Amino acid sequence: MPPLLSIDLHNGVPAYRQLMDQIKLQIATGLLPPGTELPSTRALSAELALNPMTISKAYGLLERDGVLERRRGQTLIVRERPADAQQTARLDPLRQHLTAAAHLARQLDVPPAQAVKLFRELLDS
Amino acid sequence: MIDTAPSATAATPLAFEAITQRFGSHTALCDVSLAFPAGRIIGLLGRNGAGKTTLLHIAAGLLPPTAGTCTTLGTPSGKLDTPQLTRLGLVQQEGRYLEWMTVRQHLDFNASFYPRWDRDLERRLLEALELDPKRKIVQLSPGDRQKVGILLGTCHRPALLLLDEPMSALDPIVRRRLLDFLLELLRDDGATVVISSHILNDVEKIVDWIVALEGGELVENSPFDTLQESYAEWTLTSTNGALPSTFAEPFVLSRQGDARQAILRVRTSDTEAAARFAAAHHAEIRVRPLNLDEMFPLLTSQRSRRT
Repeated sequence: MPPLLSIDLHNGVPAYRQLMDQIKLQIATGLLPPGTELPSTRALSAELALNPMTISKAYGLLERDGVLERRRGQTLIVRERPADAQQTARLDPLRQHLTAAAHLARQLDVPPAQAVKLFRELLDS
Repeated sequence: MIDTAPSATAATPLAFEAITQRFGSHTALCDVSLAFPAGRIIGLLGRNGAGKTTLLHIAAGLLPPTAGTCTTLGTPSGKLDTPQLTRLGLVQQEGRYLEWMTVRQHLDFNASFYPRWDRDLERRLLEALELDPKRKIVQLSPGDRQKVGILLGTCHRPALLLLDEPMSALDPIVRRRLLDFLLELLRDDGATVVISSHILNDVEKIVDWIVALEGGELVENSPFDTLQESYAEWTLTSTNGALPSTFAEPFVLSRQGDARQAILRVRTSDTEAAARFAAAHHAEIRVRPLNLDEMFPLLTSQRSRRT
């Protein structure tokens, strides 16, 4: 079982997307190292009380994106990826958050230099 | 032609073809055509009087349609025979029961008609729903009566389960257990579930498909994911000049706010639409998806918006 998947079914983001994002994040942070076996659609559907269609859609898309791969016996595992793909995978979730932050900074008329300074301070704290 | 081959039955447990239902001068359903594939949980949405209960009654063979054909488990719904009826489950909004019986007696009575009645499931459901089988039906609260309806409609493990507002009187803990049970039926039996409910927070936890009726007409028939990815709220903040008081773009469904900031409800599957819209109107844009509660008024007023 991947550690701590938590799906909010009321925030309007499709559950399969939340599942994909969380599995990708867990892979990027090393919680799910390459070769880790993922639970079956059935098992994860029972665990998270989600429609099995949701799980198979998320798994299918992660497989298509090359994040997961299917081994003989149909089990899905985390795929081994080249270093540059790993780097991108790590930056992606950060980019998502910073895009929202950049938007807010422009709305608040915070000058770019000041916003960057704030981010540096937060990184060092 | 109605295809009654077993494979077609398995793939499409329920199909409506040009169904119209009139009650005197009132048209409850107007030319509804729909097919439900197997193994889905379909949310049937609509305002009061939209035709949801009528549609479910036609599906269960309780009501012969004025025009059109409904095919339930491969058979015209008016001609469902015993083997097919044992594969169909119906939980009605206000079920009629044999009031003088205890819950136990009623369960035994119904079980005698169904070869596939699952005693283990019955025991687990009694426990999960917290229903005391020794009590007399006539003495039950509205919530407990709904639980009886759920047990009677599901313990024979139907291939097609029709639920009409099955949980309006249940508390959130019991509702959660009921949802888990519906998912189990889907996982274990590949059952098809149609659920009509106004408790949208619950519906959105389990459905993968949405059907909406408005004034007896079919106005939506889409995967839930697709709807979640097309309905959104856009918050627009002007960066240069005033925002228009109305937007001509056809995907803008509503507008609130003033000349500096506007909150729009939109429907578009174009992922680039927001960025283009922001550039065209010299504005910053923030996009937030809508949950089913917020989508409901938009989904169920599509016809009145068009006219």
